[in-house]
Amino acid sequence: MVLFQICNMMNVAIELKDVSVSYLHNKKGIYSVKDFFTKGGLVSPFDKKVVLKDINLKIFEGESLGILGKNGEGKSTLLRTIAGIMKPDKGECIVNVEISPLLALGVGLELELTGLENIKIYMALSGRYSRNSIKKDIDAIADFSELSIEQLKLPIKMYSTGMLSRLAFSTVMTTEPKLLMIDEVLAVGDKGFQEKCKKRIHQIKNSGTTILFVSHNPDEVLEVCERGICLRDGRIIYDGTSNGAVNEYNKLFA
Amino acid sequence: MKSRTSYLVYFLILKNLQLKYKHSILGFVWSFLHPLFYLLVFNFVFSKAFSQIQHYSLFVISGLIFWIYFSGSCNSLSQTFIRNAQLLKSLNVNKILYPISEQGAELVSFLSGFLLFAFLMLYLGMTINISFLWIIPIILLFTIFSFSLGLILGSLNVFFRDIGILWNTLNPALFYLSPIAFSIDIIPKEYQFYFKLNPLYHFFFIIRNVLYEGTAPSYIQLFYCLLITILTLLLALFVYRKTRNGFISNL
Repeated sequence: MVLFQICNMMNVAIELKDVSVSYLHNKKGIYSVKDFFTKGGLVSPFDKKVVLKDINLKIFEGESLGILGKNGEGKSTLLRTIAGIMKPDKGECIVNVEISPLLALGVGLELELTGLENIKIYMALSGRYSRNSIKKDIDAIADFSELSIEQLKLPIKMYSTGMLSRLAFSTVMTTEPKLLMIDEVLAVGDKGFQEKCKKRIHQIKNSGTTILFVSHNPDEVLEVCERGICLRDGRIIYDGTSNGAVNEYNKLFA
Repeated sequence: MKSRTSYLVYFLILKNLQLKYKHSILGFVWSFLHPLFYLLVFNFVFSKAFSQIQHYSLFVISGLIFWIYFSGSCNSLSQTFIRNAQLLKSLNVNKILYPISEQGAELVSFLSGFLLFAFLMLYLGMTINISFLWIIPIILLFTIFSFSLGLILGSLNVFFRDIGILWNTLNPALFYLSPIAFSIDIIPKEYQFYFKLNPLYHFFFIIRNVLYEGTAPSYIQLFYCLLITILTLLLALFVYRKTRNGFISNL
């Protein structure tokens, strides 16, 4: 009861009301113009495959929510819907906070370009680029990633996997968004860097940022989140503490 | 928000230009060498055959640079959504910014090439007078036309990858139907009509008016081109709007 009252006092950051989201599913196997005519594409080329069904979810400001579920149960689709990239067929998705646009790690990296060029493009993509702060931001990113200036001047196709994820993660981690969405990205870099990332996430969390955290690693979810939900077949089968969600998640594999 | 969008377009154009010439020693010079090489070939092969065309080199090059701009734009726009699949899935920005910035990059490299070719065309006998200014609205129209066609190809290519292949196959045929290497006058009268069904024919007609003959294009031809551009643009926006919600599912 007490918990309920506290929740009522907090501001709702995101609210989903009866949201259903579907993919266009190419069931008839139409991949060419020839198929289009021979397999009846003229009538209805695509079928809808419902990924999220009647999702009701309230996320409060400053809350960190862990999202668990097997592969293909709709976790990423849920994040995409909140980010406004996918439109719900039914229901409403109300977002009251500014969103960091990142969903997955390393998106938009161009292998042929250098680390520095990539940082600039990333900043422009995420809407953070301004002439005044660019130098400061680049320094912050370079600093966090622990990559040297010589390394940042190399085309990133020459980077090792670990270096790549350092770069990608640093660009995200140096922001101070109101809502941070993390899609299975913590397990990057060596042990030292992982620790650093976790520390940074806690720092972001303590500054009052709402965090949506998708992970397959229950320990990470327990460490970062107080609340957790578990998805199955596009429905929320559990909504409560992160401990409960992890239990439910483990049951899926029992 | 407006400044964010313009920054984004600016950086995407920059990125596309950087990617285009990365790892080629000659870099930007290629946008000059590529048409030049074609010109040499055509000069060698056709100048005797079409000897009735005065200043044959000028005739070819005036069409050729626009043709290369056109086919290059359509080619890269037809791939634009596929190439940016990851970004489309992760960023909530207007999807049409990707083809716009792709076209922007093509336009920048076309314009810089065009400046160089202007000197070459002067050397080959182009006359500069006040009608030369007509090239500015013509480039504008031609750019919108290429963009529209590219947007149609790009949107459909997400669903059927053979649209891109089909386009590459049809490309050479369109080159000879436009016609770039010869004048329509050598075609028998009864077949000329079919050439005129090709929208590109009308563009190259007014381009040659300005660059080759040094005269202003007739208003009726300009009107044709304007009409073609508007209709293609409307069709492109229609196709894009119909298909854009399916992009994420099909990439």
